[in-house]
Amino acid sequence: MSWQFDLIVAVIVLTAVLGLPIGHAMLGSSILYLLLMGRDMSIATEQMLNGLYGSYVLLAIPLFIFAADLMNVGSLSDRLLDFCKALVGRFRGGLGHVNVVSSLIFSGMSGSAIADAVGMGRIIINLMTRDGKYPGAYAGAITAASAIIGPIIPPSIPMVLFALVSDTSIGYLFLGGVMPGLILGVLLMMVNAWQARVHNYPVEEPVPLREMPRVTLRALPALLMPVILLVGIYGGITTPTEAAALAALYAFVVSTVFYRSVSLRQAFDTVRQSARSTASVGFLIAGALAFNYVVTVEQVPNVIRDSLGDTQLTWFSFLLMVNVILLLLGCVLEANAILLVIVPIFLPTAISLGVDPVHFGVIVVVNTMIGLATPPYGLLLFVVSSITKAPTGATIRHLLPFLAVMVLGLAIITFVPDLILWLPRLYGYSG
Amino acid sequence: APLFAQNRPVLRLSSVVSNNDIRAEAFAAISEAVAAEFDLQVFNGATLVSQGTELIALQRGNLEIGLVAPQTIAEQVPEWSIVTSAYLFNDVDHLQRTFDSEVGEQLLALTEGIGIHVLAPVYFGTRQVNLKPEIEVQTPADLNGLTLRMPGGDAWQFLGSAIGANPTPLAYAEVYTALQTGAIDGQDNPLPNDYNMRFYEVTSQIVMTGHLIGFDVLAIANDTWNGMTPEQQQLLQSAVDTAIAESTERHLAREAELVQFFQDQGLRVYEPDRAAFRDYAQARYLESEFAASWPEGMLEAINALAE
Amino acid sequence: MPPPARSWTRLAATLADTVPGILLAIMFLCFILQVFMRYVMGSPVGWTVEVCVIAWLWVILWGQSVSAREEDEIRFDIVYGAVSPRVRRVFRVIFATALVAIYAIAIPANWDFVTFMKIQDTAYFDIPFSWVFSILMVFLVVSILRYAWIGWSALTGRGVPSGEAGPHEATRKDFTE
Ligand code: NA
Ligand code: NA
Repeated sequence: MSWQFDLIVAVIVLTAVLGLPIGHAMLGSSILYLLLMGRDMSIATEQMLNGLYGSYVLLAIPLFIFAADLMNVGSLSDRLLDFCKALVGRFRGGLGHVNVVSSLIFSGMSGSAIADAVGMGRIIINLMTRDGKYPGAYAGAITAASAIIGPIIPPSIPMVLFALVSDTSIGYLFLGGVMPGLILGVLLMMVNAWQARVHNYPVEEPVPLREMPRVTLRALPALLMPVILLVGIYGGITTPTEAAALAALYAFVVSTVFYRSVSLRQAFDTVRQSARSTASVGFLIAGALAFNYVVTVEQVPNVIRDSLGDTQLTWFSFLLMVNVILLLLGCVLEANAILLVIVPIFLPTAISLGVDPVHFGVIVVVNTMIGLATPPYGLLLFVVSSITKAPTGATIRHLLPFLAVMVLGLAIITFVPDLILWLPRLYGYSG
Repeated sequence: APLFAQNRPVLRLSSVVSNNDIRAEAFAAISEAVAAEFDLQVFNGATLVSQGTELIALQRGNLEIGLVAPQTIAEQVPEWSIVTSAYLFNDVDHLQRTFDSEVGEQLLALTEGIGIHVLAPVYFGTRQVNLKPEIEVQTPADLNGLTLRMPGGDAWQFLGSAIGANPTPLAYAEVYTALQTGAIDGQDNPLPNDYNMRFYEVTSQIVMTGHLIGFDVLAIANDTWNGMTPEQQQLLQSAVDTAIAESTERHLAREAELVQFFQDQGLRVYEPDRAAFRDYAQARYLESEFAASWPEGMLEAINALAE
Repeated sequence: MPPPARSWTRLAATLADTVPGILLAIMFLCFILQVFMRYVMGSPVGWTVEVCVIAWLWVILWGQSVSAREEDEIRFDIVYGAVSPRVRRVFRVIFATALVAIYAIAIPANWDFVTFMKIQDTAYFDIPFSWVFSILMVFLVVSILRYAWIGWSALTGRGVPSGEAGPHEATRKDFTE
């Protein structure tokens, strides 16, 4: 790695700390790198433009944002809130539990954690922070933590990428992600229950049981949203990307035609608002694309491989080491880059040490998804901060206990492979 | 030249293949074979320049060597669309013979005009139709009404309709799920791709249509090539020839063994009436806008090389 | 007869904000059409994808330059949010100067790239990529102007840009929890 690279990493950190928006910090520093190297100063922007132009799967993001905004502006969210209150409001931290459970449900539709956070996450953050029930930073933190589960439970874009580089069955990888996803969900709910006690988050007034049918019926259109999406995807009507548009269409039709709670004027204001959110998140991705280019030309992955050398390892110490390295890298690198560039470096060693590829794949995906929420460079962190408008620092503080149990969960599935492999084996996996 | 070994010129090679691909090994072999003269750095997985932008990077001096799809070349040199048409080459030998012939010279002269020098065509497998429904496919008519995922872009989509199917674009990473759920009926790819992406887990058959001999070209920027001494050019060219010939052999062997593998997995693998497919496809192409850009007599010349 | 200048600026501001909204609406409609044509009509279309990726590109770069507001920008605000307004002004002068400088230096190379891209057309509509990517030049130029303004107003302490109307609003709503 060159001194120019070291310098621009320092520049990114410095300018970001001073308050320059992250996207500009990454893009500007990548251009600075090209200037210092005496190279064509359009390469970073070129990679950014082509990356965005070729990223069809990312198109789910704006559409999920639009769907969520429509649900908020219509009365769908309010109806959902009433239902959630009735269901779990009596427990301390009830809406936090709702946040986690909804992520578990919605992860069955989306293959990307960012899409989960901006879609369902947005709605629930609104429910949680309305009337000042929960601090925005806490709502953001639990949303970021639970969005990590999105791509661990199938469908999953990162798992498809891993299958591509590793020659592993996508079907078995998908199955392998189910148990870890549920385990992480339970761990997050435990932290939520504990945090709710510590911070004394409010308990809602219990809703009488006889009210339940009415409240459920009122919330039915909102509750049907996941069903619509699941039918769309698993019924072969839409691809996971297109399902986001289906969600928006559903929210639009229900709020404008069915409830008549949204005028066309409001719908257009909503679309403008969604476009602004899309631009914020999208520009973050754009900056990451430019910076990834620099990381690649600097051959950072090769440097890591060489530093590994030919140390003698057991499978236990190997997996421990890989987890630590990937967690550290996850703080500074984008998840797709880790999966496509770094993981292939470790694969041959993993196989030769007898690590099962499906096991390895799920660990790696869980690990890189945790990386999406680790400071300083965690896309999820910035995304939820932009939704809650809470300071990133406060969000990080609230996130720490969640991250701690996520890492604990990662350790558990790393050293108890059966937790991952049980389900695939049930469906005929011989590994 | 140990003295120069300190300051060998850097050649950056960019490709979209994954690091465990046969072609990645070929690139590594090339890098090793020229190590005395060049520091040839290989970037696989489209990590140096993103997919489809290799040609622009070569032209703008931001890349020395690139694995470029002929479809990308055809965007700038419409004449090249001929080598992206269905049923043009019978097999990889036919492809190689064509590139070694006068037709090849003509094609390579065209790419010199846009600033790149083609080192070799790089074969990566023959595209076959992979379907989920359990139907019998013998002629293009049997594919009528089936939704077939093809890569994006009108050239690829046209290829799908030229074999009788209903083409639809879809991100590669979404194909598995779409097949599983039935959002699409099938996809087309060389057998090694079907294996790597595990499409056989969610489909019932592979129709050995062989509608396209899949290849990219390994190309070097003109400025880089012309800046080399004849000895350096020869060193690089022979390293490429050796490594790519080996890679082609391994691909062919791999395809042969995968037929058996897919059958063992319970898939039907069979050859349809290829003549019917060829006649239909070539007729579709000749009446299309693509054929208008094909050089006079080139189709006949390539057909004549079929033996 | 031209309307007075004030309504011109208001019109411009509305337009700036409306373009990404219209593009997002187009993306939405294209996706719906794409599903409809494939699933209901059984005759898939491919051009919708091209419209969507172009719209996605323009929403992001237009949205983060022409119609950007400070509160929409994603920043790492552990330090930025905690310091006094005075120190924050110093921060703003520093990062604005740095960003304006690097983007300005990069303008010629990027102009060269964008114009070079006329060599290639998009797959369905045959739009030269120089036009598709022209939004990059808009983004760079507008960002330079915006950050020059941000830096200047921080330096002089006058005219704080919208969405950052002084220390009170900079204190986020749950900053004190
Ligand atoms: Na998922
Ligand atoms: Na959540």
